[in-house]
Amino acid sequence: MQKKENRRYCIGFAGLALALCVLLVGNLNAGSVNLSVGEICRILFEKTGENAAIVWDIRLPRIVAVVLLGGALSVSGFLLQTFFANPIAGPFILGISSGAKLIVSLTLIGFLGRGMSIGSVALIIAAFLGSMMSMGFVLLISNRIKRMSMLIISGVMIGYICSAVTDFVVTFAEDSNIVNLHNWSLGSFSGMTWDNVGVMSTVVIAALALAFLLSKPISAYQLGEVYAQNMGVNIRMFRAALILLSSVLSACVTAFAGPISFVGVAVPHLIRSIFKTAKPIIMTPACFLGGSVFCLFCDLIARTVFSPTELSISSVTAVFGAPVVIIIMVRRQKHNQ
Amino acid sequence: MRKRICILAVSVLVVLMASLLLSGCSHTVGTASARKQAASTGPDWGTLTVEKELPLQYATQFTVTEYEDGYALIDITDSGRYLVVPEGMAVPSGLDKDIVVLYQPLDRIYLAATSAMDLFRAIGGVGSILLSGEDADGWYIDEAKQALEDGSMLFAGKYSAPDYELIYSEGCNLAIESTMIYHTPEVKEQLEKLGVPVLVECSSYEGDPLGRMEWLKLYGVLLGKEELAEELFDQEVAAVNDILGQTGTGKTVAFFYITTTGTVNVRKSSDYVTKMIEMAGGEYVFSNLEDDGNALSTVNMSMEAFYDGAKNADVLIYNSAIDGELHTVDELLAKSPLLADFKAVKSGDVWCTGKNLFQEPMGLGKLIADMHTILTEDEPDSGELNYLHRLTNGGT
Repeated sequence: MQKKENRRYCIGFAGLALALCVLLVGNLNAGSVNLSVGEICRILFEKTGENAAIVWDIRLPRIVAVVLLGGALSVSGFLLQTFFANPIAGPFILGISSGAKLIVSLTLIGFLGRGMSIGSVALIIAAFLGSMMSMGFVLLISNRIKRMSMLIISGVMIGYICSAVTDFVVTFAEDSNIVNLHNWSLGSFSGMTWDNVGVMSTVVIAALALAFLLSKPISAYQLGEVYAQNMGVNIRMFRAALILLSSVLSACVTAFAGPISFVGVAVPHLIRSIFKTAKPIIMTPACFLGGSVFCLFCDLIARTVFSPTELSISSVTAVFGAPVVIIIMVRRQKHNQ
Repeated sequence: MRKRICILAVSVLVVLMASLLLSGCSHTVGTASARKQAASTGPDWGTLTVEKELPLQYATQFTVTEYEDGYALIDITDSGRYLVVPEGMAVPSGLDKDIVVLYQPLDRIYLAATSAMDLFRAIGGVGSILLSGEDADGWYIDEAKQALEDGSMLFAGKYSAPDYELIYSEGCNLAIESTMIYHTPEVKEQLEKLGVPVLVECSSYEGDPLGRMEWLKLYGVLLGKEELAEELFDQEVAAVNDILGQTGTGKTVAFFYITTTGTVNVRKSSDYVTKMIEMAGGEYVFSNLEDDGNALSTVNMSMEAFYDGAKNADVLIYNSAIDGELHTVDELLAKSPLLADFKAVKSGDVWCTGKNLFQEPMGLGKLIADMHTILTEDEPDSGELNYLHRLTNGGT
């Protein structure tokens, strides 16, 4: 039985690694400018030539960002689904995207409405602050509420409040602000730079490492709160740590790419059905790989299907993510019956 | 065994990320800067003699200082300074770091600011635009549409998500963006990182409609067609000078459209359309909508407020830019039956703008003339009008 499990894990990881490699090559090779595999290889090694900037400054930073952010979003979803024991819990259920959108809208309207220009860093910081602000409220509430379902409802309510304030702000906004806020809220990996990648990798890798280190308490928690307490897990600290880690991961995604729907919900389901386990020590790296693969695939479609017009990443992730969740749910239901 | 698998998986992840990151972070853009012309050996910037300032009558958002040997320094408020270097000349040494260098001939332009196309057309510069931020269906300007259809101009993605690869590979030597780019600063930064200079045209910040048209002169400088641009501008101004000299008609005008949520979008008193109404001899009914210090030019008001303010307006002009053109009064009343009570609807003085209006800043003078015509003539000949048409009383 154990051997069978191990074989499944090996095959699962190998499959994901293979898919990741194939998609990395596919993404690197696909674009408006036709570059042969040989030319891309030459550019990768020599870093020179007419099209070096296309590979090194346009495609590669975007691909690395997709790998990091897609993986982060998926792990964030897995942590929340485990914590809330709720299959539809995702990174944005706690109002993270609404909080980010609120602060981004205030920044856009506040600065640009007065004819003051801002840099991309300001928008990234605004989105991150907004996400963490929502998370801060959830953390405050989590100290007072014990039931998970109530905590989810609190998160949803915080999202509603942020959306309401955003709508209020938008009422007085110029059309151009509204259009651009809408564009931002659809999400995109376009225009990623190595500077962006440097910052996001620091945040994501640190949060992932901490999430991985929490594997044991998460395992204990999956068997029940009482069991976890008996195993010496400080539930209050554990709750805060899990929400914080999950929020930092999804806030980082929102800051750099805007809200991206369905990855955090769909990918953990998909990975769970492949690996047939919920063990965090397996699921955390598997979800990261799965999220990266899923986002690389969706981003490839988003930027190539109607090129040079780029689809919003959320449209593509939702189209491919939603059916996956439905199919898995139906199958699971059948299996249980 | 399981531990080994986990360690293996995590190791694969770490190695993968580390290798990608290390290789990426160690890279510096050599290619973009290599595309620029060789380092300057030109004259000393500090010693170059100013020949003249480009004469501007209405525009306040930019200035052009012309130096000896054909150098021209463009200064756009809140956008930046750009030095136009004539073909074959070297970049002056000792140039301030904030000055962006533009090398003539600027013949591979990415144009994402749609209103500028009409100005390029006026000076015969459409051929200098290689890449467009709109596809063929998005243009009302025939030359641009035709160029996109025959492939001499390429669609390179909209301003907020341009196709960087295409822009870079086509050797774009200037990106002209509207102020919308300020909402997506990462796009401007990325283009600049790729070595593509970005010029933000701020004509939308001009309070005077003729100031918007005067940006023609700036594009004339970029393409080396200053004299033609000045000549064309003077002609357009001369055409409206007669109207500007006349006294007001005393007629009140409302310029509006009804949004999908049922509110009414009207112009503020400081907006250039309001100014055009006044220049044409009309009085804008919402002249109390003061500018509150920001760049907003329109406001959405409730139907009740609009009813109160515009019910007795002598003329209604429906703005078709967002909502699409109307042709009959019934189409207008379908949007809000309340409008049937309006004086202008009863008297048949309801007009609609053409959808091409906002892509054609060169037509602003003609629009002022159109407004003047509908304010002064009872039954203007439709052939006289360029951008306005009367809503008929027939069904849809």
